[in-house]
Amino acid sequence: MSTILTVIKKEIIDTLRDRRTLMSAIVLPTLLIPVLLYGFSKLSSTIIKKEKEKKLSIAILNQPSDFSTYIDTSKYKLVTDMDMEKGRDAILGDDLDAMISFDESHNQAVVDNKTAKVNFWYKSTNLAVKDRLTGIFDDYEEDLLDDRIKSLALSKAVLNPIELNRYDIAPKKEQIGKLAGGILPYFFIIFCFMGCMYPALDLITGEKERGTIETLLTVPASRFSILFGKVISIALVGIAASGLTILGLVVALKVIPDIPEDFMEAISNMVQVKYILMLFAMIIPLSLFFAGLISALAIRARSFKEAQSLVTPISFLAIMPAAIGMMPGIELNWTTASIPIMNIALATKEIVAGTIDMGHYALIVLSLIVLAIIAVVLSFRQFSKEGMVVN
Amino acid sequence: MIQIQNLSKTFNLTKAQKKELKTNASSVNAVNNISFDCQPGRIFSLLGPNGAGKTTTLRMIATILKPSAGDIQVSGHSVIQAPELVRSKIGFLTGSTKLYDRLSPGEIVDYFGQLHNMDKALIETRKDALFTKLGIHEFSKKRIGQMSTGMKQKVSIARSMIHDPQVVIFDEPTSGLDVITAASIIDLIRECKEANRTVIFSSHIMSEVDLLCDDLAIINKGELVYKSSMDNFRKESAGTSLTEAFINIVSKHNPVAA
Repeated sequence: MSTILTVIKKEIIDTLRDRRTLMSAIVLPTLLIPVLLYGFSKLSSTIIKKEKEKKLSIAILNQPSDFSTYIDTSKYKLVTDMDMEKGRDAILGDDLDAMISFDESHNQAVVDNKTAKVNFWYKSTNLAVKDRLTGIFDDYEEDLLDDRIKSLALSKAVLNPIELNRYDIAPKKEQIGKLAGGILPYFFIIFCFMGCMYPALDLITGEKERGTIETLLTVPASRFSILFGKVISIALVGIAASGLTILGLVVALKVIPDIPEDFMEAISNMVQVKYILMLFAMIIPLSLFFAGLISALAIRARSFKEAQSLVTPISFLAIMPAAIGMMPGIELNWTTASIPIMNIALATKEIVAGTIDMGHYALIVLSLIVLAIIAVVLSFRQFSKEGMVVN
Repeated sequence: MIQIQNLSKTFNLTKAQKKELKTNASSVNAVNNISFDCQPGRIFSLLGPNGAGKTTTLRMIATILKPSAGDIQVSGHSVIQAPELVRSKIGFLTGSTKLYDRLSPGEIVDYFGQLHNMDKALIETRKDALFTKLGIHEFSKKRIGQMSTGMKQKVSIARSMIHDPQVVIFDEPTSGLDVITAASIIDLIRECKEANRTVIFSSHIMSEVDLLCDDLAIINKGELVYKSSMDNFRKESAGTSLTEAFINIVSKHNPVAA
């Protein structure tokens, strides 16, 4: 036991002095979510505001006289001398934002209570153009409709045979929890893997490559103690990376403005000791599993570069199930609870939403513990082979 | 004391290794049925050309590799039956040994002291004595990555000797070192002899062998081709240099009976 603790102490000091590991396991997980959230909310609000306030250049062909009242000239610049062909080219060349063309028979169709056709050209890549002009058409259409109803002496209810009232009784916590809870594990599973990957390559393959492993094997300690000390150190870095991802989210929510209150409330519910403990009960065996698995591969490699090429494809084993678990419609049940990694993503959704089934949860934690044990045994088998350890 | 009895080591070859060695054989005998003893208070030199099996033999003594056949007794303990006890008795230093670049000399020596189950006070006492003797104090706060090869080798020595081993294995310890650092290692090997430790030493430098050794064995292609006392070797090679004598023995390649 004292050997294991000695190895852990040394490996943690050594790892914390490695810039590459610090970057991937500490700095990136802590900052990624706050930077993403802040950047996304700031960028999207700036873009939306800009697009809403931008004065759009539009061309209107065969404009009916009553339509001009719907166009606020402080927000729209009317471009004249356009025909259909010139207008399309101008939109494609970004000289014009949109073109509206009324049929020549438009006024007659309105009077005859017939459907009048209006054509509208725009580029969907120009954000907000479609929405802003569709809003104008909706107002125009509603006014025309009111006139027709009045002239026909009908009640507006004739056009609305039913009134559908929707009541979503799912608590906000559950609604937002399932959304946010789907994204969160995607990040902490990836960072857990990355957090384990660099220390494993450095503490195992790096030690082989640098030739320090030979000296380490001449101390009066069992190979298992040495390996287990290393695997625990690697797993601790993975756990720290996952924990910092969650911490990053909490800090981001506290610091970043413009986050909807409902969302804040739902996420704040997640930051309870009970839920955090439940997440860590999954993260700890998951990290040990990653540490054991990556170590088993790292032992086989002769160089850091070779180890990277062996381990990188395995990262898809972490990313894919986590991504699938993030998809809507995939629910936690006895089958999905048995699928490694995906089960963590699904369980996190349920934990955050407050709807976790404790039977499913117990199966997940137990299966992760079994996987962690298998991975550690696998790495020990590799470490016991003298040809694997000494180049 | 080290007693090597009918020691053999066979390595299975991978496809890549077969290609590299241009052979169809599934395995290679790196060491084949060798026997010799190393006595306390004497320096034993293990000589041989590159690829002769010297490092494999030393690694088996250090329990890094397991013998395929035969056994080695180190201070009365078998490397097969009690490898951890053997490791507690030995200090292992090679010319190619590297240290942890991100740690300081003090941290490395503490680490190895703790792995040898030494208590804190004893580690401090031994560390201070070794650092004073080797002149490590002046750069003890520096990290290994910022040190010269000579400084690193001094730290390697302190790391190998922290637990006061009865048996010391030196595998080409002066390779790549400047004259001054090499001389300090030669002094250390002498001091080990004076302290009645068992010393086994492998080198390509015949002048070092001549200067230090009491007994020697020459191995070639994994087989023991010569073993004798240094005095006897000098007598037998009268009229030729020790290097020439060594080359003559290797080229004759006459394994002696175990």
